[in-house]
Amino acid sequence: MNEKSLLLFISIVFAVLVIYWISIAVSLIYRRRRKARLMKIEIIFADIVSRYLYNDPVNPLTLEEIKTTLRNVGIRPRNKNNIQFVIRLMIRTQRTILGSNFSKLQKLYAEIPPYGVSIKKISSWSWYKKARGIREIYEMNQSQYFDEIFKYRDDKNIYVRREAQIALVVFLGWESLRFLPYLKRNITLWQQIKIVEKLYDLYPKPELKWLHRAYETEKLFGKKLLMRIIRKYELHEEIGFIIDHLNHEDYEVRETAIYCLQTFAVSSSTMAYIKELYNDIPNATQQGQLLNYIYENSDIDLEFYLKQLYSNNEDLKLSIAEILWNNGYKEKVQEFYYQQYPKASLNVG
Amino acid sequence: MWDSAEGFFGSYYIYWISVFLFLGYGASLVLLYLTGILLARRSIKRTKQRSVFLRAEDIVSATDIPSVTIIAPAYNEGLTIIENVKSLLSIQYPYYELILVNDGSNDDSLKKLINEFNLERQDATFITQPIPTASVKYIYRSRETKYTHLTVIDKNNGGKADAINAGVNFSNTELVIFTDVDCIIEQDAILKMVRPYLEEDDKEIIGCGGGIGIANDSIIKNGILSELRLPSRLIPMNQVVEYIRTFLLGRMAWSEINGLMLISGAFGMYPRKRVIEVGGFNPKTVGEDLELCVRMRMYMEEKKIPYKVVYLPETLCWTEAPSDYNILIRQRDRWARGLWETMSLHRKLFLNRKYRKMGLLFYPYWLFFEFSAPVVEFLGIICMIAFGIFGWINWPFAIMLFFAAYLVGCVFSTIAIFMYIKNFDHYTKPKQVVELLLAAYLEPFLYHPVLLFGQMKGYYKKLFDITSGWGNMTRKGFKVLKK
Amino acid sequence: MRKVLVIQEDIIILKILERLVRLNNFECKAIRSLEDLSIEDQQTNFDFIITDILFEGIAPLEFVAQVQEVLLHKNLLIVTNMGQDKVKKEIFALRGITGFYAAPIDLDEIEAIIQAY
Repeated sequence: MNEKSLLLFISIVFAVLVIYWISIAVSLIYRRRRKARLMKIEIIFADIVSRYLYNDPVNPLTLEEIKTTLRNVGIRPRNKNNIQFVIRLMIRTQRTILGSNFSKLQKLYAEIPPYGVSIKKISSWSWYKKARGIREIYEMNQSQYFDEIFKYRDDKNIYVRREAQIALVVFLGWESLRFLPYLKRNITLWQQIKIVEKLYDLYPKPELKWLHRAYETEKLFGKKLLMRIIRKYELHEEIGFIIDHLNHEDYEVRETAIYCLQTFAVSSSTMAYIKELYNDIPNATQQGQLLNYIYENSDIDLEFYLKQLYSNNEDLKLSIAEILWNNGYKEKVQEFYYQQYPKASLNVG
Repeated sequence: MWDSAEGFFGSYYIYWISVFLFLGYGASLVLLYLTGILLARRSIKRTKQRSVFLRAEDIVSATDIPSVTIIAPAYNEGLTIIENVKSLLSIQYPYYELILVNDGSNDDSLKKLINEFNLERQDATFITQPIPTASVKYIYRSRETKYTHLTVIDKNNGGKADAINAGVNFSNTELVIFTDVDCIIEQDAILKMVRPYLEEDDKEIIGCGGGIGIANDSIIKNGILSELRLPSRLIPMNQVVEYIRTFLLGRMAWSEINGLMLISGAFGMYPRKRVIEVGGFNPKTVGEDLELCVRMRMYMEEKKIPYKVVYLPETLCWTEAPSDYNILIRQRDRWARGLWETMSLHRKLFLNRKYRKMGLLFYPYWLFFEFSAPVVEFLGIICMIAFGIFGWINWPFAIMLFFAAYLVGCVFSTIAIFMYIKNFDHYTKPKQVVELLLAAYLEPFLYHPVLLFGQMKGYYKKLFDITSGWGNMTRKGFKVLKK
Repeated sequence: MRKVLVIQEDIIILKILERLVRLNNFECKAIRSLEDLSIEDQQTNFDFIITDILFEGIAPLEFVAQVQEVLLHKNLLIVTNMGQDKVKKEIFALRGITGFYAAPIDLDEIEAIIQAY
């Protein structure tokens, strides 16, 4: 390397630096303007929606007026970013509202721009656009495109298939359980949450035949999904499915089962069965969670707690001792600890 | 071979070997940084795209999301403890608990907490302690419904790591977040941090970190950052640039290839189950955050469970940076000792195939480029002085080379600032950006040498076994606007 | 005239609720945070306060407690995105809450309550 080539290198690096300075300046100006524009669109949109939902008979808002206002604020086909933002606002608003106003909103969305933007995205090669398109279609309830979406339910991209699976629930309701618990690829926790929420919001009446058929699934995510559905709908008669998974070999399936069980109160015979399963759970933290459930949902069963206290399971002895201590069995705890440490002084309480 | 320093530094061979070693080291670093920029750019873009499908407003209304406990250790924080706790309590998340661990403070922290939050003392006899800690004296809970999410643990002093471990023992949520009590956490930080856990697919998320920003001289109102200002002094200003570069470029790049070995102790989220399985923080090291992350990764590698450590590019936590040279040196001295301890404690990782990429790539990177960088730099300075004295250096060329290296450094800092401005709304005024750029360009002269000194001081202490603890990290405190 | 105070950070929900209230012949003050309240508003006895619980710098429970403490009102309705059962229970434990509506909300239910007043 000589001085000449070093000077050339310095010039190149300096040129790069200058390019970044310019980029920073452009970025600052763009972001400031963009922020102001988005704020304006949001306020105008809020005004339109509120006036449309609660139209003033004296000064009614017409469809033509809405279209003109949106156009004036920059919602035109060539302003793709503005259109995307308004779609986001539409979805956000629709997700917040139920009942007759929800139907009113859907009617409004069908009549104002943007038109047919979402379906175009589905044919894009980019996973991001495709997934966004699917999402917009189901959020805006454009069921005519269902067949287009259905084929993506097992797509290799997690976001595309996730959105397609949620679309299944939105359009098929309980019948979607024909497919969901048997999919090839794993369903993430968020996906399970979204599926259950959509099902509950849009199809509040349970259709148990689909649920019962889905019980046959061997997929772990399928089991977790079904337990979450049972919990959300508070299906007391289906609680057996949850209980059967309390001692499942998979940690997360057990975790879901314990979590879902906590929504329900059970009969004394079922509780006796749960106590039997308690010892089969191979994880102390999960045993602790189930112990809390047992304690909070049943009367003190001295025999059960003493059995646990004198068992080889060291992890939860303090918790069990605490339960006994606080429920009138101090002497039993003292007796246990005296026997453990006969020569030491007891330091409890 | 060389009978004197003169003979050594005057040797032709030594001169050229040194030149190529230093040049090679520098060139490797530049290449690594360039790769880092590309990876970080990709990672930030992907994180932003993903967040479109899982927005904070979707999570806030969801049921079945994981429960989270924030664990904040406090030692003699009486001056600001009430404001800090109120700030932490205001974080928005439906299944959220706050555990404040009073680590044997000998000021009036506990008394203030009891009075302000109407706390009631509860017996701590039956606390299960999967991780052994210094003994817990009492548990405090509020009698008022509005503070139902707050628990204060009063324990004997055992240090920061021990205090956090006590918090982990007492918590009963799926996820735990570790933070410093005086950090200002963004209101939607947990909603954003749980995202990777909700989207967990074939790899278990064992740690998640978020960007940390410097808020010296900023305005705090109602426990939140109401106006972000740049620090008025150069030292914290330089740290603003340093943090942007580290978090946005470094951590995001490593996150992209699942190579993160560190989640900052100021703000990190972990599954409680895994923290307990590995035995919690190690109270014997001063770099407990790095050590925990490395140990958790090793644990997962040994168990052969697929896992990921992730980072979010957004700044989710604001902290106060050292504002003078003395405090800065103490901080970097401690960080250097922490790094030394972790590297030494887990040296079996080095080129160990059993730990796959962690042993073959990530640990060696940390050894050669994080741990060794100050040493190489220090040796470089010595060599330059010595070779200069013995007349080996072509000064006009050396100055040009220095200028070229300086410009390359400036480009990296400028790119980091550009990416931050392009993606986030924190610094939006042209004046702020110009100040940031100027600070970045002055950094090699006024800031970096001090860092080097602090790091070398830490290594010196380790080398000669000089005992030193955490060191006092005196803070000025934020500007707080009352309601 | 009967008065309603609406506090919602989300401008769309705020405007919708404001319209709903006004068309039902109530006087409405619609604000995005407590800081937007005037001194006069702080002395008004509102027939209804319709509020979210998620605001910057204050915990949801503490916010509700503060509204109850600081603002004169006859009914307090919570309309929020963070409407999990657990949150609902905690809010009701504060006492004095007229209704709790978690998103997605049926605005007709809120209208019915107002009309019945």
